[in-house]
Amino acid sequence: MHGTLPYTTEIRPDTGLTNPKLGIWLFLASEVMLFGSLFSSYALLRSAAAAWPDQSAVLSVPLATLNTIILITSSATMVLSLVGIRAQRFDRFRLHMGLTLALGAAFLVVKVFEYADKFAHGLVPATDNFLGLYFTMTGVHALHVLIGMVVNAYLLWPGARMWRTEPQRFTNRVEVAGIYWHFVDVVWIFLFPVLYLL
Amino acid sequence: MHVRGYLGIFGALLVLTVITVAVSSLQLAVGPTVALGLTIAAAKATLVVLFFMHLKGEKPMVMWPLALTVFLFAALFAFILWTEGDHIVGPSVGA
Repeated sequence: MHGTLPYTTEIRPDTGLTNPKLGIWLFLASEVMLFGSLFSSYALLRSAAAAWPDQSAVLSVPLATLNTIILITSSATMVLSLVGIRAQRFDRFRLHMGLTLALGAAFLVVKVFEYADKFAHGLVPATDNFLGLYFTMTGVHALHVLIGMVVNAYLLWPGARMWRTEPQRFTNRVEVAGIYWHFVDVVWIFLFPVLYLL
Repeated sequence: MHVRGYLGIFGALLVLTVITVAVSSLQLAVGPTVALGLTIAAAKATLVVLFFMHLKGEKPMVMWPLALTVFLFAALFAFILWTEGDHIVGPSVGA
């Protein structure tokens, strides 16, 4: 029993893929260009600037390193949730998806502390080009983390009902959500050195 | 890939994170710092994309749109090099 969407579980012959798999990769292609516009804006503004602040002195490298470890760990737990559901071990899926959700929340909590510390020191987006870029890029990224958490929470709780009725379709949903979540990790992998270390 | 393989990738990502922080604390010149930082980030991203996102062995219908995306992404930076290239090696951090 399927919904109205075709090729959610069976392979579409002309693409060799299910529609959700092709769809998530095309969406991520547009996301690459979204973040590409932000990273290239950073490159333009920094290369054209007469002076640039010492980023690692303005921002907290230890907190960003912690967040890098949190997000990388969440990517590992996300892929393990897929391994679990593919092995038909719903308990392992639930454990690892729950950990992924908790790590996403931990990332945002650290981010809130970072933002609050900047604001407390009068450092706001309007302060200079660097902080404008910092808040814009990390803000857009944090929004992506939040959206990923909503998807993951859906799969963990209300959406998990599908596991009993359409297990293959549910497995594909976990896979597609994972591809998105790993992409959000990849964006942070670049944001970390660009905004904090270089 | 099995759990052990994924944990291996996870370990490599953690090691590369430690290396990138260690390199940045060496206070090298801007050029090498940027080059090393972006190279390590690219290596980490490659591991995530190939193994966690399973791009390794993915169908051509995924590969071709992504190849076009990489080209267009690079074009964004090519335009900046084109317009700002004369002083892109310019002001160093804190100078």
